[in-house]
Amino acid sequence: MRIVVLIKQVPDMNTVKIDRATGKPTLDGQRVVSSFDEYAIEAGLRLKEQHEGEVTVICAGPPSVKDAITRALAMGVDNAVQIALPNANDIDTLTLATVLVVEIGKLEPDVVLTGQNSDDYQTGHLGPQLAELLGIPHLSSVTRIDGGDSEFSVQRDTEDGKQVVTVSTPLLLMAMTGLNEPRLPSIKGMMAAKRKPVEQVTADLPSAAPSLSWSEPFVPERTVTGTVVQGVAASEAATQLVTWLKEQKLL
Amino acid sequence: MGKGTGILVVAEVGEDGLRTGSLELLTVGRSLAEAMGGELTVVVPGAEVVEAARTVAASGADRVLVVDDERLASFTSGAWTAVVVHAVAETNPAALLIPGTTSGRDYAPRLAARLRLGLAADCVDLAVEDGALVATRPILGGRVQTVVRFEGDGPWIATVRPGSFERAKPTGEEAEIVSLTVELGDDDLKVRVVETLHEDTGGKRLDNAERIVAGGRGLKEPDRFNLVEDLARALNASVGASRAVVDAGWRPHHEQVGQTGQTVAPRLYVAVGISGAVQHLVGMQGADYIVAINRDPDAPIFKIASFGIVGDLFEVVPAVIEEINAARA
Repeated sequence: MRIVVLIKQVPDMNTVKIDRATGKPTLDGQRVVSSFDEYAIEAGLRLKEQHEGEVTVICAGPPSVKDAITRALAMGVDNAVQIALPNANDIDTLTLATVLVVEIGKLEPDVVLTGQNSDDYQTGHLGPQLAELLGIPHLSSVTRIDGGDSEFSVQRDTEDGKQVVTVSTPLLLMAMTGLNEPRLPSIKGMMAAKRKPVEQVTADLPSAAPSLSWSEPFVPERTVTGTVVQGVAASEAATQLVTWLKEQKLL
Repeated sequence: MGKGTGILVVAEVGEDGLRTGSLELLTVGRSLAEAMGGELTVVVPGAEVVEAARTVAASGADRVLVVDDERLASFTSGAWTAVVVHAVAETNPAALLIPGTTSGRDYAPRLAARLRLGLAADCVDLAVEDGALVATRPILGGRVQTVVRFEGDGPWIATVRPGSFERAKPTGEEAEIVSLTVELGDDDLKVRVVETLHEDTGGKRLDNAERIVAGGRGLKEPDRFNLVEDLARALNASVGASRAVVDAGWRPHHEQVGQTGQTVAPRLYVAVGISGAVQHLVGMQGADYIVAINRDPDAPIFKIASFGIVGDLFEVVPAVIEEINAARA
């Protein structure tokens, strides 16, 4: 089974600080593999363990993305394609998809895996757009993958419950929380990662005008002014809350 | 495709009928249509969706297109993409608005790729500026926002976060309902739906819930979650949970509120022992009233709470339940 996992390197959300004066986030801290993408890597490794085959990870971005690739290789991915792109967040997802699809297509995958969305820009667009350009079906919010060599039974989270579907390869799956528990790279894995092949590719950006552009990030204004009860007995706090609930006609 | 002036809204029908996010899109769709000087059309895909179509027709739409097909009984990306592509060709709108639900967020990017159009995800505000659509969307876990400007002739596409706009109310007028037939080929039906599993939700669901009581790590042990359940019962509310307690296996994933769970917009949201990580706040800050009970006065949840109690939840929650029952007696 040919398995391709798309990963994105993002700022560690726990290190992002917002400068209240400028409203600008600091994005130059630690960079990590986007959290849902770790589920995608793990899912790829488990598919390989069940069905044999090869797992390739593809990552586009500045030179720093080699750290994200190394982590995937250390987790057990076989090889990687690194696509040089100054900043993946400066181009719209459809343009990025047209760049990535060229490299994915060359590998003729049975299964393509992505995270449900990235931690930073959170559009969730790339998976469905890649699938459309590849002409294969996709499933989002995937929480369970069962099945055989060419047909999968997949569960996905929906507002109505867990939707159970069957679908044949080739296909694209978007990994969601609950799908698995991503493994940590072992020392042996980290050593092995150094010897695994990483193909370097330069992105060929299309010249067509983009369909949208976006502003610098800013902090939204909050207008909520609430009541906070502190330092009183539980019964007094409860009485005040119930009075308030009645005033708001919530009781 | 030329430049249109109308707005096309896709309504979404779940197992328990029209999702309320659809009515929110009617509100913003109506104001955008007026700004563009065009019509507001709503397409309703699904199986046996006549009832939902009538509700939409009475809530401010100029025209309603119904695609009623038994193959649309459960969502699949392929079928929905085909249906909405057809509806776009039929109406040539300036903008297409799609609910930012699991389904909407699933097929909208596919549709945008097929039609080679720009798409803004999970928008919380939409406006027309200089004749073009401008969308505001949260990024980086909701702590900051960005404004997306659409270029070219469109149609421009946006998925809209549930809870971002008021629900449209009946106008007293009924729009024309037109039945639309869409050819679905094998390529559109590659995914076969077997069933939808319903975890035991105690008969109460979160996405359309009017009231939610949610518990977090402050409850310390899974057994203490009964405090949340008891308070929910007293308030006739649904039960929600933070990611921490779902990851810990205390509660099922369908109860999870937040970035990796559900986005909810109830009238009342009570957070018990939830500190309010940004990933949680993005999922519930659309609530009309937020009540927070937490022992840490610096917990971020108090920054957005309409009513907060700093205290020991193990004392406060039973006292609140007692007061509610006394008030009802």
